[in-house]
Amino acid sequence: MSSPSSLVGSLPIRLRNFLARYPPQIYSAAVAPRPTPPETDAPAETTLPSPYTPNRDAKGTHKPDPTVYSPSMALLYNSKEAPNPFLPRKDNRTGKWIPPRFGLRQQADLVKLAAKYKVEELLPPGRKSNEFKATRLAERGLRIKGTGIGQKVKGHKWERTMESRLEERRKAMTEMPEMIRLWRQRGHGRGWKQWPKR
Amino acid sequence: MAKKSKSRTIAVRLISMAMTGYYRTMIRPRVHRPLSMLKYDPVVKKKVLFLEATKGGKAK
Repeated sequence: MSSPSSLVGSLPIRLRNFLARYPPQIYSAAVAPRPTPPETDAPAETTLPSPYTPNRDAKGTHKPDPTVYSPSMALLYNSKEAPNPFLPRKDNRTGKWIPPRFGLRQQADLVKLAAKYKVEELLPPGRKSNEFKATRLAERGLRIKGTGIGQKVKGHKWERTMESRLEERRKAMTEMPEMIRLWRQRGHGRGWKQWPKR
Repeated sequence: MAKKSKSRTIAVRLISMAMTGYYRTMIRPRVHRPLSMLKYDPVVKKKVLFLEATKGGKAK
């Protein structure tokens, strides 16, 4: 890597302005304290309950508990002295939430720009950072039904019955020449007995 | 009042014997014997036997 000054000079003006206003020494994700998972007595639940055995009592309780420790949310560090421009914060005096200085769209633009110049760790931690997204993905896993071990999805009826229908069709087609021969023999339907039911 | 007369012809459904669920609707005289013919079934892409579907699966 080249010297810091030339690196800064090579950055686009938008990133340079951002870094000048929010110096990485104070704000960046690199200097933010690393999150430490809390000490828990009970080991974390390893097997998730199957989504295909609905628990009626648990209906409507799908919202995750915000108080539970989450590795991805712990990354979003905000301090009172140097408010993270990518995160909202609560004004303790008025009790109101102050929106982030940069909206999610602007954050995403900045992160993409910084990632392009390989200086993403100089930005403050935020929801759009690749680290946050990777941590969140690892935390949540692949959220597609039926991809887990031992899981299967019900599917549409045409999907469930397709195999048997195709088998029936295949069988009918193998018997078709014989059926046509018989039909011709019996006077093109004059002596036919097995008419299909409506 | 006079009884309502039945129409001379009826619309019948000819079902593909390839068990594809494909059918054709035709009109035949009421007193005619059930229809049956070889026709093209686009599902199996072949000419197959089509038989008239009757109530209860019995011919007249």
